[in-house]
Amino acid sequence: MTTRLNRRDFLRTSAATGVGMTLWFNFGDGAGRAAGASAYDPNASMTITPDGLVTVHITKSEMGQGVGTALAQIVAEELEADWKDIRIDYPTSDPKLGLMITGGSWSVNWTFDSLSRAGAAARMSLVDAATQRWKVSAEECVASRGMVRHLPTGRAISYGDIVAKAPITKTFSEDDLKKITLKKPADYKVIGQWIQRLDIPEKTNGRAKFGIDSFVANMVYAKTAYPPTREGGKHTAVDDSEARKVKGWVKTIVNDQLVAVVATSYESAVKARDALKITWAPGPNTGVSTETIFSDFAAKAKDGAGAIEWHKAGDAKAALAGAARVHQATYTTDYVAHMQMEPMNCVARFEGGVYDLYTGSQFQTLAMGTLAAVLKTDQKNVRIHQHYLGGGFGRRLDPDIILEAAIIAREAGRPVKLIRSREEDLRRDFYRSATLQTVRAGLDASGKVVAWDNIIVATHPGTRWGPDFVDKQGLDQFALNGADHVYSIPNQSVRAIRTETGISVGYVRAVAPNYTFFAVETFIDELANMSKADPLAFRLAMLGDQPRLANVLKIAAQRGGWGTPLPANTGRGLACVSAQEKKTPTWTASVVQARVDPATGNVRVEKIVCAVDCGIVVNPDGVRSQVEGSLLFGLSNAIKERGTVANGALVQSNFHDYQVLRMNEVPDVVEVNVVQSTEFPTGVGEPGVTTIAPALSNAIFAATGARVRSVPLLPERVLKAIKEKA
Amino acid sequence: MARLLINGKPRTVDVPPDTPLLWVIREHLQLTGTKFGCGMAQCGACTVHLDGAAVRSCKTPVSAAAGKKITTIEGLSPDGKHPLQVAWIAEQVPQCGYCQSGQIMQAAALLAKTPNPTDDEIVEAMSGNICRCATYVRIKRAIKRAAQGA
Repeated sequence: MTTRLNRRDFLRTSAATGVGMTLWFNFGDGAGRAAGASAYDPNASMTITPDGLVTVHITKSEMGQGVGTALAQIVAEELEADWKDIRIDYPTSDPKLGLMITGGSWSVNWTFDSLSRAGAAARMSLVDAATQRWKVSAEECVASRGMVRHLPTGRAISYGDIVAKAPITKTFSEDDLKKITLKKPADYKVIGQWIQRLDIPEKTNGRAKFGIDSFVANMVYAKTAYPPTREGGKHTAVDDSEARKVKGWVKTIVNDQLVAVVATSYESAVKARDALKITWAPGPNTGVSTETIFSDFAAKAKDGAGAIEWHKAGDAKAALAGAARVHQATYTTDYVAHMQMEPMNCVARFEGGVYDLYTGSQFQTLAMGTLAAVLKTDQKNVRIHQHYLGGGFGRRLDPDIILEAAIIAREAGRPVKLIRSREEDLRRDFYRSATLQTVRAGLDASGKVVAWDNIIVATHPGTRWGPDFVDKQGLDQFALNGADHVYSIPNQSVRAIRTETGISVGYVRAVAPNYTFFAVETFIDELANMSKADPLAFRLAMLGDQPRLANVLKIAAQRGGWGTPLPANTGRGLACVSAQEKKTPTWTASVVQARVDPATGNVRVEKIVCAVDCGIVVNPDGVRSQVEGSLLFGLSNAIKERGTVANGALVQSNFHDYQVLRMNEVPDVVEVNVVQSTEFPTGVGEPGVTTIAPALSNAIFAATGARVRSVPLLPERVLKAIKEKA
Repeated sequence: MARLLINGKPRTVDVPPDTPLLWVIREHLQLTGTKFGCGMAQCGACTVHLDGAAVRSCKTPVSAAAGKKITTIEGLSPDGKHPLQVAWIAEQVPQCGYCQSGQIMQAAALLAKTPNPTDDEIVEAMSGNICRCATYVRIKRAIKRAAQGA
């Protein structure tokens, strides 16, 4: 499946700050409106109406991060709006809105600068309109809480009245925007405030509308029949004679792309679909299993053939050869599913050549491009009507359900609602790749780490999306990030071996750093132990030029009681990370305290203490909420979630056999310490996740002396490690 | 034909008796606050009250709800100000929000029976409701806040 998304655009927006300027600003379109306008749209980010309300248009997906509130705070700060006048909405996809993607903990980091400038420019335009009306100079006017005041005379006019009565003529070029002097953090009035999230009230009374809550006129229900293997299966014959007898059956759709049934209700669609007699050609992957995958991975890592160097410093090979001691360890992680609470769904209507798609998407740009390419239409004919996402976690980056619904609606000749069951959702997921990582380090005679060599075997999700999503070497950085850790080690080599297993992979919350930091931070602990050094001191000694990471590490250690006595079979472990990306890290460290039952291998996590430095904090409770959730999501990944494969498909089917964290497994203490900072803001949705598996593995080692190198850290794996040690 | 009493209103729906109550509520009656999560009573997103008791509507055939008072999140409180809803906002509980109707309905049934639950009683009552965003710390705090009438 190819897309029309340009790799250069994608990477440019990935490049960090100041991005999106051209994506966000279309000054000149909206500016210069005559007096008495119904609304003022200074740019794509906001609309100000004569009633004084400021609607901030959120092109990021709301999937629980409170992103709308945070982005609106950024706009309101420079706009000098009164917070009570702020509203938010989520625009329908449009190529004019530029790159629409939500993920990577990017949203605040990518938009902070551009939204600040959008707010400031709108404020300056409003002030300019007021001064022209009053025939006074701008220097004599101030804007505050949605009003412009002329200080010498005390005259005042609200933003709403300006929009209604005064011509707003000031425009900004990109250069003008860049030249705007923004506020200093010390002057913030809205950023940094404990402002309640705007989306929460309707999430307590049933009114919040998710994609699955969409209805359109004349709508029927669709169910797709999926092949038995995850990849490569295809229908060869379909007999729908029994399906036609089901009450409510409307149509059976069989084409090159899918087999589906349309019926008048969800339940009749299920019955009719289940009544289909389908002959499947299961494809080449029926022999694929967890065992075949990991034995293949291990062979590839051992052989090293086809490994591509992704990160390099100094000469790791020579340094390893000259090292006084060498240590090597291999880590594995199993497939992980998204298990977002809202199963994938989409309401689709095809009318007059236009596809209207009602769903929650994390990547509208990819969806528009994919649908346009597959359905042979123009992107402007693909409209994604954005809803709340009942969990994203990366699952809603992929447009598979949207495409499926669009095809069915076109073939059915009427609007359809397509809802996957949980079983279908799990079996058709794009999992976090299974991985195998072998790390080797060389220490000099004094115990200092002088060489680091890491080989990572994984499936790279970007390969599936097409050449736009991998680098010149064919590597997807989002399958490797984190392996380029920030410890000061002079000689490093990180090599990647890409594999295709027949199991589709995608991006799952915290992405690569969720497995790369497991290997890095567990291995660092092993090296500390080898050197008979305290794991905290051992890390700090290699973080001399990373003061912000050292700082959070010290805070977490101090708050977590590092070094104080614990009962038998109880241990503390720590981990510190530069997730999600080395260029834009949120410095995060956690101490996990756990009790291990040596007879069963059962682990009870008693305490998680985290410290995070994400620069400027836009919404303090939002940051806390995200970090709390990310730590527990990480705990769920670390102790419970194991996707296994048999016959070319995931074995698990629902929450009974793919277990996620429940309330009874939540530690008594989950503490989040947020560093006050005036550094440029970075994201908090994911980094916390990545600290838990290594910190817990290290805690288990501290409690038992047994090292568990496979995530999830299941009781049988802990028990096996304890027995091997004995 | 199923005759139901939902949030105090009589409703008639033309569905087979084995139709899960969930789909009747959500899709036929468009009371979409009640969510579909798993279809096998494993996640609690579809929790509603039958005569005040929390049940998983995805595994409850519509026939079993006839003659009983069905309450959904939309009918929990006339103005959306049930002490739990107030506490849910005060503690800023929801993230994605998809599971929260079920969480609140489960908690409401708990508080109706046990107005001042202990931590253990909260955990016992709530561990059948999954929140993938893992807002559990705040859910617990909000239930306690509501119980204390704060």
